[in-house]
Amino acid sequence: MTLERTLILASVVFCIGLYGLLSRKQAVAMLLSVELMANAGNIVFAAFAHFKGGPSSQLFVLFALAVTVAEVAVGLALVMLLYRRHGDTIVDLASEAKE
Amino acid sequence: MTAIELGLLAVFAPAAAALLLVLLYPIRHRGQPAAMVTIGASVIALAAAVKLLVDQTPVTRLVVPWIPERGRAMAEIGLQLDAVSMIMLAVVCAVALCVQIFSVAYMHDEPPKAFGRYFALHALFLFSMNVLVIAPNLLQAFAGWELVGLTSYLLIGFYFAKPSAAQAAVKAFWMTKLADMGFLFGLLILYVSTGSFEWTATPTPYIATWVTALLFLAVVGKSAQFPLHIWLPDAMEGPTPVSALLHAATMVAAGVFLVVRADPLFAQAPTTRELMLWVGAGTALFAACLALVQNDIKRVLAFSTCSQLGYMVAALGAGSAFAGFFHLGTHAFFKALLFLCAGSVIHAVHSNELSDMGGLRKKLPVTTFAFVVGALSLAGVPGFAGFFSKDLVLGTLEGKGGWLPWAMLMACAFLTAFYMGRVVIKAFFGEPSPKAQAAHEGGLAMTAPLVVLAVPSLLAGLLGGRLAAQLNVTGYALHVGLTPVTASGLALIGLVAAYAVFSRPGGRAPLAATFEELDRASYVDRFWAGAYRFGLLGVSGVLGWFDRYVVDGLINLSGYGTIAAGAAVRRLQTGRVRDYALAVAAGAAAGVIFVVLR
Repeated sequence: MTLERTLILASVVFCIGLYGLLSRKQAVAMLLSVELMANAGNIVFAAFAHFKGGPSSQLFVLFALAVTVAEVAVGLALVMLLYRRHGDTIVDLASEAKE
Repeated sequence: MTAIELGLLAVFAPAAAALLLVLLYPIRHRGQPAAMVTIGASVIALAAAVKLLVDQTPVTRLVVPWIPERGRAMAEIGLQLDAVSMIMLAVVCAVALCVQIFSVAYMHDEPPKAFGRYFALHALFLFSMNVLVIAPNLLQAFAGWELVGLTSYLLIGFYFAKPSAAQAAVKAFWMTKLADMGFLFGLLILYVSTGSFEWTATPTPYIATWVTALLFLAVVGKSAQFPLHIWLPDAMEGPTPVSALLHAATMVAAGVFLVVRADPLFAQAPTTRELMLWVGAGTALFAACLALVQNDIKRVLAFSTCSQLGYMVAALGAGSAFAGFFHLGTHAFFKALLFLCAGSVIHAVHSNELSDMGGLRKKLPVTTFAFVVGALSLAGVPGFAGFFSKDLVLGTLEGKGGWLPWAMLMACAFLTAFYMGRVVIKAFFGEPSPKAQAAHEGGLAMTAPLVVLAVPSLLAGLLGGRLAAQLNVTGYALHVGLTPVTASGLALIGLVAAYAVFSRPGGRAPLAATFEELDRASYVDRFWAGAYRFGLLGVSGVLGWFDRYVVDGLINLSGYGTIAAGAAVRRLQTGRVRDYALAVAAGAAAGVIFVVLR
């Protein structure tokens, strides 16, 4: 494994996440896709830590994971709200602001 | 105190009174205290003005910059004390004080709130008039001019619940505003051509003619000259003391005062002076004819005021500011006296109609005495104040404009004596009418101002020599000649003729039917009503159409444009989360591509 291949892996994971985000209607699926995209970033951090050395990048991974967890908590709260309001978790239902 | 301080005191004492009465409404609403405040301020102002005269103050000027424009003052504001302004100040304050004291008795039946309002307006008027009188330049004079116009409007409409009074107030306001446009345009032209508002500005002769002609338009409005005189008789709807102060003695004379002040300017415009000569003489004769057939005592005096102002304007047109100013001064006293006497009579018989009076000589001895003094002075009987000034006016007209204006004013002198004789005989002599039976004099507050004003009405003419000296006019002397002899002869003949015609019950003047018809038809009124209806309303209609369809159309068009643009952009906002996510992703991709390719 080299740095480049690891970065390509990260890009592929990111793109899968992006595709999932753009193609799914279900809020939970979109949330999962966002998780993929965030973890693609984490892979980049880890790759640089592994190949270039230095502990700061690894610290960043831990930090980013913590933030992601918080983000998921907020996201799931939104999903709950969406479900209570519309009886489903399809995000397109939440388009009142357009009117 | 210095002259400046005295001058400022004369202006700001009434201003302080007016401000006090406006702000502290408990004082105003209680009535009597308001009268005390105003009268106190007038006493202070009069004392200051008299002190200035007694001290023989030299010409004093205090100005501060006003309205900055491009780093310098566009105009100045302040006070200018010289012979003209000091004498005028004293005359205005003296008459105002007499009228205010008289008003305390005349208005005592008013509810306290109205009473207080009346005196607050009087204080405001005195301040406005003094601002005008001491003005060091035309711009401040314009400010004072408009202020007296406003107080005139408010006081004519004092009984605003009465439709005729409200209409008269609006009419006076309209007519004088129409004329004041002349003042404004004259000022603008003067400033553009000379860069100053000074009394002594010297534009080119052509500009001077235009400026003075426009100023004269304002004078025609304010001093009730033909054809803008129609507001003055209607202004008699106001309380009688107001008529005495504003519409006889001081405010209407402001027009004459303005010309006296701007004499250096008018001296450069012989064409305007020619016009003034004819307008003045014409108004004097026309108004005297109409005064002959009025049955309302106040309307007689109103037309007489028009007529006397015509004398002054004619004198100014003949080039003698001194004669015009002299007549202004004496007229202020005897006309205020006549109006206050009329107020006393109206107060006694509760009617304005001459037919409701008659035989008041025994019931109202003081008023009768004062009215006769005023009437003889107005008629120009030798020895009375009016004789001296009228003689001077007529003297300056000798030979001017081919003797015709002189002859017109001579005829007018006869008519003046004739119609004043008519009023005196109808109101004070003969058999008392039913309404006059219970008449009695008002209190001391009513009779004292009459007696006080009777003194200058009798004697002010003797001050002519001193006035001439103050104004640096040489060659003023009483003499026996064509004019004095003819004028006094005509005055006496007029009085005798009045006695001969009107002492019989039902006596009517010759040609009375013609004049009555003229008065009833009121062609000038109809002309202005038509001008208002077709001219002003027509133009307003066209402008209204333009505003509604062209100006509003443009504005509506811009509104529709904004809405259409918004509708076009609105499609971008779908409300679907994935679209926004796609936009974000596309934006990020574009950013990456931009960075990579650069």
